[in-house]
Amino acid sequence: MDKRVTYCTDLEKSVIMSNFERRGWVQVGPEDEWNFYWSFTQNCRNIFSIENGYRMNDNQIINHFPNHYELSRKDLLVKNIKRYRKELEKEGNPLAEKTEIVLPSGQVATRYVHLDLIPVTYVLPADYNMFVEEYRKSPQSTWIMKPCGKSQGTGIFLINKLSKLKKWSREAKIPFHPQLSSKESYVISRYIDNPLLIGGKKFDLRLYVLVTSFRPLKAYLFKHGFCRFCTVKYDTSVTELDNMYVHLTNVSVQRHGVEYNSLHGGKMSVQNFRLYLEGTRGRSVTEKLFSDMDWLIVHSLKAVAPVMANDRHCFECYGYDIIIDNTLKPWLVEVNASPSLQSTTHNDRILKYKLIDNIISVVVPPDGIPDARWNKIPSTEALGDFEVLIDEELIEKEDTNSRCNRNIRSR
Amino acid sequence: MGKYDHLTERGDEEKLYLLCFVWDEPKWEFAHLPLQVKNLEQLRKEYPEWASGEPLLGAIPECNGASGLGPLGTERTALGARVTALRYAPVAQEFLKRGSPHCLRAGLWAQVLGVEVTAQQTAYFNQLKRNVLEVDLMIDKLIFKDVQLTASNDDQYFVFEDLLYQVMLCFSRDGEVLQQLKGSIGNALTVTIKGKQTSPESVTVFPPSGIIPFHGFSMYATPFCYLYDEPVQLYYTFRAFYIRYWHRLHYISTHPQGIVSLCLLYERLLEANEPLLWIHFRNININPIRVVFKWLMRAFSGHLPPDQLLFLWDAILGYDSLYILPLLAVAILSFRKENIFQVNTIQNVDAVLADLSTISIVPLLQLALMKP
Repeated sequence: MDKRVTYCTDLEKSVIMSNFERRGWVQVGPEDEWNFYWSFTQNCRNIFSIENGYRMNDNQIINHFPNHYELSRKDLLVKNIKRYRKELEKEGNPLAEKTEIVLPSGQVATRYVHLDLIPVTYVLPADYNMFVEEYRKSPQSTWIMKPCGKSQGTGIFLINKLSKLKKWSREAKIPFHPQLSSKESYVISRYIDNPLLIGGKKFDLRLYVLVTSFRPLKAYLFKHGFCRFCTVKYDTSVTELDNMYVHLTNVSVQRHGVEYNSLHGGKMSVQNFRLYLEGTRGRSVTEKLFSDMDWLIVHSLKAVAPVMANDRHCFECYGYDIIIDNTLKPWLVEVNASPSLQSTTHNDRILKYKLIDNIISVVVPPDGIPDARWNKIPSTEALGDFEVLIDEELIEKEDTNSRCNRNIRSR
Repeated sequence: MGKYDHLTERGDEEKLYLLCFVWDEPKWEFAHLPLQVKNLEQLRKEYPEWASGEPLLGAIPECNGASGLGPLGTERTALGARVTALRYAPVAQEFLKRGSPHCLRAGLWAQVLGVEVTAQQTAYFNQLKRNVLEVDLMIDKLIFKDVQLTASNDDQYFVFEDLLYQVMLCFSRDGEVLQQLKGSIGNALTVTIKGKQTSPESVTVFPPSGIIPFHGFSMYATPFCYLYDEPVQLYYTFRAFYIRYWHRLHYISTHPQGIVSLCLLYERLLEANEPLLWIHFRNININPIRVVFKWLMRAFSGHLPPDQLLFLWDAILGYDSLYILPLLAVAILSFRKENIFQVNTIQNVDAVLADLSTISIVPLLQLALMKP
């Protein structure tokens, strides 16, 4: 049977479609027999919803997990990470080792040594009292408020006084009583006010992580990430707290700044960032930073793995946003389940084209026909510019082999 | 003739035509100039480590990111650390011939160039900064324009623009540059001090460095931003590199390492080793030098990605020679010749050569230098 592979896409962008067309795939609608669906998250959720009754066949794969929001919603991510850490602590895992640190105010606080992935964060209004307790430990600190379900920097603001928070809750007309539930929840995090600066400007990192399975965990890191720079010099003075161009690195914010340059779009490649760091700070600190970032991503995925619906038809490419502080410690800011495929510069277009191309070659088995049953072990060529971050199945296989070998040797 | 060298904001092509106009030569080759240049066989003797085919850093992309150092990288890093500890420039220079691990470059380059940042140096640099703040010069406008048009638009260097402004502005105020380059850059421009009558005592060199910047001048400094993140060390290393090498790329002279000799070397190498390409250029009426001149004049800065560029500049410093520039130019043309044969306009040739981001210069140069 010589059937052509069919695809369906909710996003009519050339960066995606040219990759399908290049492979000779035929476009069909969502109601037809598609083999590969590049969908919006909402449509994916609909397909998986119980009311729908749609059952995917073995030759259909889709680009989202049904409950990806466990990772991509800020409040659920925090909840899952906190749960993950507590579990490791309970089982006495050395990963959950804790230490005491002294805050600038002189007060002492406990932090995880290896699992300090996110800045101290609370979900509001639910954790309001806990937040106030933590806030009082360092009253000089700045906190960042982010709406849980929004993106592109919408609705984010900074506060440095508890009174400002109360003022905001009054003005927003959202009942801010911890007992009352609120539809629009927020997370409030300790603001990283000491970001690593290059050329006096703040930046964050965007890394692409492809996950083809959560249990066993199979995750791949795309080699071409980039740093997004603010167009304005970093300034922690109180007067600039409200200046989004100083603090928020989202391209959607910065592109409206006066200094925005559309040739490079404020984006520097991760490779050049690594080169800069290695040349100016040396190899070992650079290696440590990149290794820490790998672990940060792996831990965040392990944290949600137990609750993710590990449907074999699914894969997902996440956009990880990471901020590095001036002690070269990486912090997870958030995870995007639908990273923007819009291209702001020429280099951007090439990068995103390559990204989609490599995603397809990783998730589709060697014979080129999407198949939910295949073993999901891509060859080195199929990986392209992806690197294996973690493949629990392969680790398991190696462990079994070495155990067998040991048994054989000991006889 | 020296007056035409540092024309501000003129394109490279214009400079070249003016050069020819000055020589009053209807033909557009350098071949008729009475300058001696080496041939490929002689260059093999100049670069024996590259001609021998031995493994060099950068030949295999092993240090490219996450995979960590391979065996060669580890070996070179260990050796390089010992070389750095010796603090002996000739040994450091010898080490650079086989390429330096990136983490050791900053220290090694400084040693080879004799740059040591003492309190005195820092004080001098701060004085230059004060000069910049106190007195505006017309040159400053050129520097701003240059940085804005080049580095600020380049995704590899835009983050460093503040550092570049500092370095380039201070450079223009630095009289020591003029002192050290006396004789190599012709007569510097002098102006009468404002308010005084024209007399030998009331003229001053303008700018104090004796060098008027031009479009692309700051690209001589941009790659150093990947080695030094504070201005003083960056400044002195860049300045030393400029005094030793870069000025030769934009001042016309008969020096064997000057831009004219490099252009001639390029032509000779191309004609002798890629005769079909040479003929192709003649047939489509394109001056071969036109295609690579911008690479030579900027020592490939802004054309090669920084990690490759730094290997190239290792070689310049290690072998104390700029000959590697025309050699690389020919090697790149040779590598892409099949594509060049298929086009017949200058725009299309430029398009074939526009993107050098996939070029690995070390294996390319090794190939060019190894015996057939």
